[in-house]
Amino acid sequence: MNSKTPAVSATSLSRHYGEGNTLVLALKEASFEIFPGEVVALLGPSGSGKSTLLTILGLINPPNTGTLRIGGEDVIRDGAAVRDANLIRRRRLGFVFQRSNLIPFLTAEENVRLVLELDGVSRREATRRSREIMATLGVADRGDHMPTQLSGGQQQRVAIARALVHNPSLLLADEPTASLDKELGRRVMELLREAASERGAAVLIVTHDHRALDLVHRVFEIEDGILSTDVPAAT
Amino acid sequence: MILSIRDIRHDYGRFLLTAAGLGLLLTVVLAMTGIYNGIIKDATALPDALGADLWIVQRDTRGPFAELSRVPRGLEERARAVPGVAKVRSYVSHTIQRELPNGKPLRFTAVGLSWPDDLGEGLPLVEGRPLAQPHFEFLVDRSLGLPLGARIRLGRDEYTVVGITDGLLASGGDPAAFFTMADAQKIQNDVSNEALRLDREARAARVQASAVGRDPEMVRFSGKSSQLIPALGPAPVSAVMLNLAPGARLDMVRARLETWKDITVYSQAEEHDLILGGVVEKTRRQIGLFRALLVVISAILMGLIIYTMTVDKIHSIALLKLLGAPIKVILGMILEEALLLGGIAYLLALIIGNYAFEMFPRRVVVENEHRLALLGIVAAISFAASVFGMKKALAADPNEVLAG
Repeated sequence: MNSKTPAVSATSLSRHYGEGNTLVLALKEASFEIFPGEVVALLGPSGSGKSTLLTILGLINPPNTGTLRIGGEDVIRDGAAVRDANLIRRRRLGFVFQRSNLIPFLTAEENVRLVLELDGVSRREATRRSREIMATLGVADRGDHMPTQLSGGQQQRVAIARALVHNPSLLLADEPTASLDKELGRRVMELLREAASERGAAVLIVTHDHRALDLVHRVFEIEDGILSTDVPAAT
Repeated sequence: MILSIRDIRHDYGRFLLTAAGLGLLLTVVLAMTGIYNGIIKDATALPDALGADLWIVQRDTRGPFAELSRVPRGLEERARAVPGVAKVRSYVSHTIQRELPNGKPLRFTAVGLSWPDDLGEGLPLVEGRPLAQPHFEFLVDRSLGLPLGARIRLGRDEYTVVGITDGLLASGGDPAAFFTMADAQKIQNDVSNEALRLDREARAARVQASAVGRDPEMVRFSGKSSQLIPALGPAPVSAVMLNLAPGARLDMVRARLETWKDITVYSQAEEHDLILGGVVEKTRRQIGLFRALLVVISAILMGLIIYTMTVDKIHSIALLKLLGAPIKVILGMILEEALLLGGIAYLLALIIGNYAFEMFPRRVVVENEHRLALLGIVAAISFAASVFGMKKALAADPNEVLAG
């Protein structure tokens, strides 16, 4: 895949809930492309359709119509999954959440390594790659710590390491700085941008935080299920 | 990465405590099995040790173990005359409870051996020797706790322990003690001097009031010791045991004995059935039901424990699904935890049982086949219990993670 090939390409994604008088159109004909290394912010008020788009891109809930390509592969065609969603999530997607959502019974390094081992990577190779990215994110010395022994910022760095360690095509970040103070939030956004750029991952960040928008390449805005992709980054 | 081990490691104290509780419950299941086997072994140990081919008992009774039986002492001589019979012994038994000088209760079943034909050589002696004189010696089971050379007073006489047997208990679970027939009957029929005098006077009065009372000599004799009155005969015994001569056919000897109208004949196997069907049957059913109840309780508890453990980490399971973990990895984690819990509990039950069962007042017999059977039950319970957790895990929604 060259840099001209989109990491994710969505065409006419729509999703509705209910029927008849109770029909709610949560997402209407959303189409966009995000390229490798590109960081996109998704803005919108509560109930605008952000979560719906996120769950469709995360292959949790399928759209009713539309096509989705991730990493150059069709994963949803005409609203129907054409690939194993679990496999695509394991190989092509990374997730970062508002709370770090680390698995509490695994150490920091095991949390990162898990994603690789779930995909059959040998323990030795998984350990090497985990330590490498943890070093990049400045948490190499926290590998043996349990999540509860880490600060909020450290937890979020470990979560970013876990999201990127398998070189995903698309990283979905849901309010990744919401629980952090301004300085730490900005640092996390910088790390996210640097790490994604280094590994060629497209990043879609759902956020309410306008303070870090100077760190993203593009801004998408969604309201009443309608996605606008031509919003200036300086919004 | 073995997720189940990681999860257990995270809170191993709680896991081990849970396993210990379950282990104690399985110990009780194992104990119930062992007690049941012990009851069967105890109940059949005595007839097995005596090793008779045929038992002659009172007509239409299920004696001498399942029911009281009385046959005349002379039956021994009649049986000896039957072709094919090599050895004849009388059998008596009765339970004795006394107090030792230190206040501890001494309870055992006294069994009479036919001196001098049976000195107890066939019994499983682990210390000492068989009986060597017709009176005042006895053999006793190790479980009674009397050492070799110990002397106890029973009735008017003092008896010395000359041999120790192992594993010989009566069907009630009391240790067996072996005396010569004469001593066993003497102990059984021992009464006070006053009771003897009253009995003799009553007998003399009955004779005097009857037609034979016109003979003064008859009245004088009737007031003497019963041993001096030939008409009264010796005390009856419980049963007569027969052993066949080499080559003799059991069915033929039995058919011959069954022509006698005053007795009933049982083979050794039939005595087993009578003991197990009568004396032990209710206990067996009671213990069997109790054991089944414990297994069900264990299964329910384990199901709840596994379910709770799954609920505790439902967010992590939803996260694993979101990260693309194959469902078999998640279900495998739950199954492994259930099996580990069951496995550790099972090992604890074996270890605890190994030490604790020796302290039980009754014999607890646990063989390898019983241990294997329990392992099978534990594995089945673990599988069944994990189903509750698996159903919960399958229902975990990755959306919950995205929803925060």
